[in-house]
Amino acid sequence: MTKQLTTIAMALGLAAIGFGGAQAADPVRIGFSLPITGIFAPAAPSQQKAYELWRDQVNAKGGLDVAGTKRPVEFVSYDDQSDPGQAAKIYEKLIAQDKVDLLLGPWGTPHHFAVAGVLERFKFPMVGDTAASVQLRDLKPGYIWFPTSALPDEQGKQLPLLLKSLNVKTVAITTAQHPFALENKKFIVEGLKANGIDIVSNADYPLDIRDMTALISSMKQANPDAELSLSMTGDSVLYTRQSMELGFKPRVQFVLVGPAATFFTGIFGDKANGLLTMGHWSPSQKKWPKAKAFFDAYVAKYKEPPDYLDSALSFEACEITEQAVAKAGLDHEKLRQVISTDTFDTIDGPVKFNGVVNATTPTMFLQYQNGVFEIVWPKSEATASVITK
Amino acid sequence: MTAQDARATGFGAAVRQAIITAGGPLKALPWDINGTDRTRHAARTAAVVSVAALLATSLPFLANDYFVGFGFSLLVWIALTESWIVISGMTGYISLGHVVFVGIGAYVAASAWHTLPIGIILPLAGLAAAALASLVGYPCLRVRGPYFVILTFGLSELIKYIVINIESALAVSGRVLFGAPGIDTLYLIVLGLAWASVMIALTVRESRFGSGLRAIRENEEAAETIGIPIAKFKAAAFVLSSIIPGMVGALLIMRTTYFAPLEAFNPQTSVLIVTMAVIGGSDRPLGPILGVVFLVVLQELLWANLPQLYMIIVGILLIFIVVWMPGGIYGRLQQIIATVRR
Amino acid sequence: MSTQLLIAALVAGSVYALIALGLNLIYGTMRLLNVAHGEVVMIGAYVAYWALSLLSVGPLVSALAAMPLAAALGAIIYFGLFRKAMQSSEFMERIEGNSLLVFFGVSIILQNATSLLFTPNQRGYRYQDEIVHVIGAVVPVNKLIVLAIAAAVCIAAVLFFRLSTLGLAIKALIQQREAAALVGIPLTRIELTSLCLGFAIAGLAGVLVSMTEEISPFMGFPLTVTAFVVVILGGLGNVLGSLIGGLLLGVLETFGVALTAPSYRSIMIYSVFIAVLLLRPQGLLGAQRART
Repeated sequence: MTKQLTTIAMALGLAAIGFGGAQAADPVRIGFSLPITGIFAPAAPSQQKAYELWRDQVNAKGGLDVAGTKRPVEFVSYDDQSDPGQAAKIYEKLIAQDKVDLLLGPWGTPHHFAVAGVLERFKFPMVGDTAASVQLRDLKPGYIWFPTSALPDEQGKQLPLLLKSLNVKTVAITTAQHPFALENKKFIVEGLKANGIDIVSNADYPLDIRDMTALISSMKQANPDAELSLSMTGDSVLYTRQSMELGFKPRVQFVLVGPAATFFTGIFGDKANGLLTMGHWSPSQKKWPKAKAFFDAYVAKYKEPPDYLDSALSFEACEITEQAVAKAGLDHEKLRQVISTDTFDTIDGPVKFNGVVNATTPTMFLQYQNGVFEIVWPKSEATASVITK
Repeated sequence: MTAQDARATGFGAAVRQAIITAGGPLKALPWDINGTDRTRHAARTAAVVSVAALLATSLPFLANDYFVGFGFSLLVWIALTESWIVISGMTGYISLGHVVFVGIGAYVAASAWHTLPIGIILPLAGLAAAALASLVGYPCLRVRGPYFVILTFGLSELIKYIVINIESALAVSGRVLFGAPGIDTLYLIVLGLAWASVMIALTVRESRFGSGLRAIRENEEAAETIGIPIAKFKAAAFVLSSIIPGMVGALLIMRTTYFAPLEAFNPQTSVLIVTMAVIGGSDRPLGPILGVVFLVVLQELLWANLPQLYMIIVGILLIFIVVWMPGGIYGRLQQIIATVRR
Repeated sequence: MSTQLLIAALVAGSVYALIALGLNLIYGTMRLLNVAHGEVVMIGAYVAYWALSLLSVGPLVSALAAMPLAAALGAIIYFGLFRKAMQSSEFMERIEGNSLLVFFGVSIILQNATSLLFTPNQRGYRYQDEIVHVIGAVVPVNKLIVLAIAAAVCIAAVLFFRLSTLGLAIKALIQQREAAALVGIPLTRIELTSLCLGFAIAGLAGVLVSMTEEISPFMGFPLTVTAFVVVILGGLGNVLGSLIGGLLLGVLETFGVALTAPSYRSIMIYSVFIAVLLLRPQGLLGAQRART
C-alpha cells in the first residue's frame, strides 16, 4: 500500500515538474505478469530468470539506451495466478495505473491472447515471447509480435522432411490433448502423408495421464522407425521415462515440449542423448555470437542451463525491445513502427517481423547431444548432424 | 412459506423448529423473529443493492480501464458466489463443481462466436448451463453430504474431459474470439448479471420456495413430511444457480478472447467460489459480496510483492473463519451490530 | 504383454491404495475430508529428495524420517485446529464441509510455503532405475521396491485392523462411534492416532512416489483427486475397501486404456467414479457402513 502511495506521489511529483525535464536517472519501468502461483507456476522461473538477467546486464552497462539517454531499468511485475483473465487485468493496471514505460510478455499462449486485446486498445506495443499457435497469425498486426519460429504449420512441413532425410518409413504418434500438441499433430500428419511416410500408430491421451504402459506397449508392437511424442511438459517426462523402462527404442525419437526445459535434462542426464525436440536456438550456433554469451551468463548467474525455448525467447524479446527503444525512444507509435520494420540482432540471430510473426528465423529442430542441444535441422542452420540409434 | 404459515398448518414441533432455524443461525436478530420485518429488510437490501448497481454503471465513464477491469473481476465473483448460494447456501448441498457451468457457457460462446450476435450468445450460454444442470440435477441431488461435494467435483472434471475429447476429435485446438467487445461493455453486462444474481438470491430467500430450501437444509426428512416437494425444489435451485454462471463464462471468454478447455474448466474456480462465500458468510445474500470484496481487495494489496504470501494468507483466513468465525465476515458484523444495539 | 500391464497395474494400484488408505482412515474415524492429503504426500517426496541430494541418504532410510515428520504435522493440525472445533456443535453439524474447507486452507498454505522455500521447479532424482526382467515383463528395480513396500504396508494394515487391539478399536470407532465411546474406547486418543497414522502413511507414499516420478510443490492436488476416486470406489470410511479401490483404479488405468483408447482414460475413470457415487455410494464392496 505504501508502495502504491509512493508511486502515486511520485507520479504527481513528476507531473508537477513536467515530463520534459525527465532526469537521466529516472528509471524506465517495465511491466509484466507471470504465473507465480497456480498450475503454471513451475513454468515461470525460466522466463523470469531471462528477464532478470537482461535487466541486470543492461543496468551493469549503465542503463537502457533511450534514444541516446541511458536510464536504469526497473521491473513492475505481478502474479497472474495462472489465470488469463487475471493477466488481462494486470496489463490494464500496468498501462493505466502504474503507467509503465514498456511491457514484456506473460507466460503461455492463452495469456498472450488475453493481453493482445489490451495492447490493441491502449495502442501499446509489446514484443511477446512464450506463445506458439498458428492462430497467432490471425491476430491483428500492430501492437504485438512473436519471435518464435516454432509454429505448428511450419513444423508440420519441416519435421517430415527431417524424418525423410533419416530414411524413416514408418512413424507412431502420441499426442497430448492440449491445443498446441493437437495443432502440431494436425499439420505433422498432413506433412507425413505428403511425404509418403506411414503412420502405424496414432493415439491421443489426456494430460492427467499417470501411466503410459498400455500406450507405449502398443507402439512397441507396431515397431515404427520413428516415434513422435507430441507432449507438453509433465507428460513428456512420463513418456520418456516409461519408454526407456519398457525398452521402446525406435531409431528416431521426437518429443515436442519438455526436453528443452532445464529440469528435463536434469532428470535424465545422458539418457536424453539423441532426443529430438522443437526449438530454434542453441549456444553452439557460431553464426550468432550472442548465443554463447547468453548461455554462459545464464549458467554463471543461475548455476543451471537456460530453457532452450522459454528463456531464449524471453531474452530475445528483451533484446528486441532494447534495440527498438535505443532507436525510437519510448514513444509508442515510433516504437511500433521500428519494431514492425527493423531487423534486430539477437541471441537467435537476426529477427525481422512480418505482421505479428518472425519472418527471418527458419523453423528448426534440436537434438540433445552430450549436455547441449544442437541444431540439427535444417541443414543450412545445423550445428551438428543428427545421430540415430 | 414463512415461520407463521408453518405454525398455522399445525405440523409437529420438530418440523416447525426446522423451519424456524432455517432462517439462519442469527435468529437473535430483531428482524428474524417476525416474517414481515424480514421481508421489509430484504426489500431494503434490494433497494440498496439496486441503487449501488445503478451508481456503479457510471464507473466506465469516470475511471480508467484498470478500475473497470478491477470492477469486472469483482462483479464476476459476486455473480458466481451469489448464484452458488442459491443451491449451496440455502440447501446445504455444497457444490464443488460450479466451474462446469462457467466452462459450458464459455464453450457455447466460443463455438457460436462469429456465427451469432452477443445478444443471442449470452442467453444461449445461460440456457446451456441450465440444460446441463437440469440433466444432472435430479440424480446428483439424491446424493448427500460429502458424497455430493465429491460428486459435483467429479462431474465437472468429467465434463471437462468430454469437452477436451470433443475438441480434439473435431481437430480444434483452442478457439480465438476475434472482435470481442471491450472491457467497458463487458463490465456493464456483468454488472447486470451480478445485480440479477443478488436479486435472485434475495427473492428466493424470501419466497415460499426459499423457506422450503432452508427446511431441506435443516432436516430433509422433516421437510418431506410437511409436503415440500424436495426433489423438485432441489433441482429447481440447482438449475437456478447455474444460469448466471453460464452467462458469466461467456463473458469471461470474451474477456480473455481465447478458449481452451483446461483453463475454462479449471477446478480452482469452483474452490474459489466456495472459499469466497464461506469467508463472507454463505447464509445471507450479502455475505458473499463481503467475502468477494475482502479477498479481491486483499489480493490487490498483496499480489505486487508477495504472491505466495497472499495465497498463504488466504489459507490462514479460510481456516480461521471456518474454525473460529462460523458465520463468516457477515455473521460477525451482524453479531457486533446486535451487541451494539442491545 | 499382459504381464507387463499387470505389473504396471499393481505398481500404480498399490501406491493409490496406500495414499487412499490414510485418507480413508482419517475420514472413517473423524469424518474429516482431508483435501490436503496430496500435500502430505508432497512433503514426504521432498524429504526424500533433499535427503538424497543434500545428505546422500537413500529414500528407504529417509522414509523413516518422512513418516514421523508427517505424523507430527498431523498432530499439530489435530491439536491446533480440530480438537477445539470438534467440540462445537455448529462445526460438527457440517463437519464434512467444514473440514474440507479447513484442509483446503492447509493445502494452499503447504503448497505455497513449499514453493516459496524450494522454488516452484520440478525436481527429480534417479534411484535404482536399472531394468530387470520379471516373467516376460521389463520393470525398473525402483518400481519393484515401490510395489514391495506398498504391498507390505497394505497387508500390514489388513492384519492391523483384524488382529491388534488398537486396530480393532479404530474399526469399532469407524463403525459405531457412539457405542465405541460407551464401551470405554478413548475417542481423543484413537482419533489422534488415526490422524497421525494416516499422515505417516501419506508421507511414506510421498517417498515412494518420488522414487519413480518427478516432484513439485503442486504435485499434491492430482494425487488428492486420485485418492478420492479410490476411496469412493472402495467405500468412504471403509479402510479395506480403499485397497481394492486402489487396485481397481490401477487396472482401469492400464487394462482399461489398453482395451479402449488412451484418449478415454480420464472420461472412463470419472464415469466409473460418478456411477459408483450415484448407484452405490457405500462403495463397490457393499454396505459395511451406512450412508451418512
